[in-house]
Amino acid sequence: MTAKHAENVDRGSLSPKLTPEHSGLRKSGDAPFDAAKKKHAGQSDRRQAQLMVLPAVVILVVVAFYPILATMWLSLHRMILVFHEETFVGLGNYGFLLSDPRFWSALSNTAYFAAVAVVIELILGLGFALILNAAFPGRSLLRAAILVPWAIPTVVSAKLWAWLFNPEYGLVTHLLPGHDVNWLGMPGYAMHAAILVDVWKTTPFVALLLLAGLQTIPQDIYKAASVDGAGTIRQFFSITLPLLRNTIVVTLIFRTLDASRVFDAVYVLTEGGPANTTETLSIYAYKTLMRVGDFGYGSTLSVVTFLCVMGISLVYLKVLGVERGKGA
Amino acid sequence: MHKAGCGVMRILTLVGLVCLAACHTGGGGAAGTNEPAKPPGKIRVVFKHQPMWGEPEPFRQLLAGFSQENPDIDLVTEVLPNASDAVHQYFLTSLEGRSRDYDVFIADVVWVPEFARAGWISDISDAFPPDGVKRDFLPGPAEAVTVEGKTYALPWYVDAGLLYYRTDLVPRAPKTFDELIQFAKDAKKKDPSLYGYVWQGRQYEGLVCDTYEAIWGFGGQTMNGNRVMVDTKESRGALTYLRSLFTEGISPPSVTSAGEEEARRTFQDGKAVFMRNWPYAWGEAQKPDSPIKGKVGITTLPTVTGEPGHGALGGWQLALNAYTPSWRREAAVKFMKYMTSKKAEVTLAVHYGRNPSRKDAYKDEGLRKEAPFIVDLLPVLENAKPRPVTPYYGMLSDVLQSEFSAVVSGIRPPEAALDRAQKFLDHVTQGGS
Repeated sequence: MTAKHAENVDRGSLSPKLTPEHSGLRKSGDAPFDAAKKKHAGQSDRRQAQLMVLPAVVILVVVAFYPILATMWLSLHRMILVFHEETFVGLGNYGFLLSDPRFWSALSNTAYFAAVAVVIELILGLGFALILNAAFPGRSLLRAAILVPWAIPTVVSAKLWAWLFNPEYGLVTHLLPGHDVNWLGMPGYAMHAAILVDVWKTTPFVALLLLAGLQTIPQDIYKAASVDGAGTIRQFFSITLPLLRNTIVVTLIFRTLDASRVFDAVYVLTEGGPANTTETLSIYAYKTLMRVGDFGYGSTLSVVTFLCVMGISLVYLKVLGVERGKGA
Repeated sequence: MHKAGCGVMRILTLVGLVCLAACHTGGGGAAGTNEPAKPPGKIRVVFKHQPMWGEPEPFRQLLAGFSQENPDIDLVTEVLPNASDAVHQYFLTSLEGRSRDYDVFIADVVWVPEFARAGWISDISDAFPPDGVKRDFLPGPAEAVTVEGKTYALPWYVDAGLLYYRTDLVPRAPKTFDELIQFAKDAKKKDPSLYGYVWQGRQYEGLVCDTYEAIWGFGGQTMNGNRVMVDTKESRGALTYLRSLFTEGISPPSVTSAGEEEARRTFQDGKAVFMRNWPYAWGEAQKPDSPIKGKVGITTLPTVTGEPGHGALGGWQLALNAYTPSWRREAAVKFMKYMTSKKAEVTLAVHYGRNPSRKDAYKDEGLRKEAPFIVDLLPVLENAKPRPVTPYYGMLSDVLQSEFSAVVSGIRPPEAALDRAQKFLDHVTQGGS
């Protein structure tokens, strides 16, 4: 290591405040020298920053990018484990996918599940958040209690709901009129049962996120609005909603992404039945990969699921991000 | 310093060689030449099995018996999850990764052809010739472990679908489908709150078993050479019959989401006249607090002609990991022999209710005295049939589950569902090897 290098490294590790330029120790007049020094310092700063970030990047590459790229590579093959078959088929699997009715039904099931569940969760969650934001005795207890469904592992809550929906003994069946609805066994009903379970489980999470957003709104604005004579409803639409917008966007992104990848709740409730009417993309991919052992087509399904989720988040960021810019 | 460098180099070279060898044997299936050398001392044999519910002591004693007989073998047991799907996934990934961490493991009856085709389990015909297996074991399991004339696993314990009926509600066991429907209707006339027939109609493996039993009851075959036959006259008849159970009010709508336990609970509460289930339900029905204790009979499943029907064969086999090094193989085979001996199977039957796969176990005096129900099951077990014996079973089952589910829940008529299933299967199997 040369002396110059050593000096650079040394400089780089110093806090900028202590450099001569900032401390004003150096006289003006030798500006070119200063600029050169500065450039060196900037470079080594950057190098050091890169070094610091490196471990995180390596981990990200190993646990995220490599598997994604490997899956994409697999999706270009016909690969069935049992037959030790691995032939490159290019985009053949994607071609088959386009004409695979089961894929389209899984895609529409997933979209329906995500759209309906997220809308209901957002509306209910907002309601809960508003209630929890008001001051009343026992508020902190209620805030803790509302989190219980979110705290239960999904598989456990799905199993619990499977019993609630049981056509012979289930509470849901007995509370509702018309006892012969078999929630998990009738096409149409099963999907809505799964949505109900997701709503029950995730509304507390949504409520909590929105509550955090509500608490950042200064009370003065409401007071001023009251003085101006704005009613509660007017205040909600003119103050609360616009100021909550960012939080709502984040919540929507979180929930839509989660709901589009839904697996555990639906798998435990119905395994995709009856007749695949509740089969989501993740369940179809899982079955193809693990039950059938078709790693080529299973990977194709995984990649498409990934692309869908990516697409949704890009759309959200683009559409909602731009509007936010306009609003501000 | 120099010595250490040498060591590193040697390790690196070794790693490189192993990688090369691994690449070289890729796709071959059988264990390559890169198997690890035998370490000194006892031979370690690892046995992977699902949990044995109940008192652990008899099972421990059984394993200890093997260790006493073979002091040179160090037997290790490892427990698998109790969910068949999870176990299948475990073996799929670890055997594809050429795992040598275990030697003898349990395999569901439908996995044997798949694992054999993949080269994940060893051909054990040298130790257990197919003729001997056929002679010693029940016909259904013996057929299920034989792939292209070679033995790939040993039947350990067996299960088969059977019909439970309420002796206080029907005059006798029904022999035909028509009789079952008639008896159920008669019983419902006397007590309209009763259900006729409960079974497994949820979209899962149980539905495939129940449907195949109906197909066999209509005289259908599962295979024609290597082609899986799904769209046949008999299958259409069977699915039409299953759907009619709902439209005629014999089976409640809840059956379309029922697995074994849902059906058993309904039946055990005294709410149903008939039930299709596995033998385990008998023990539950005879418990002291069971409302139907002493009012239950068992019989073979009904058919069109009235001949005893075939139940779907279930149960578990012992298989030998293909990647087990040759010096461990002999010890592993010894262990498989021990676990499928008459003594071991009687122990499992008496203490854990596992039905022996071996014919001579049913003549055992101890079993006759301790578990007479298992001896009574023999006609059902002897008549059990394996679901299609094909390496494509995972794929087949996946398609059949959804199409059969579509029929029983009334989404598609049998003709359309079977046509879809057959087309898909032909597409896949003709595209395969």
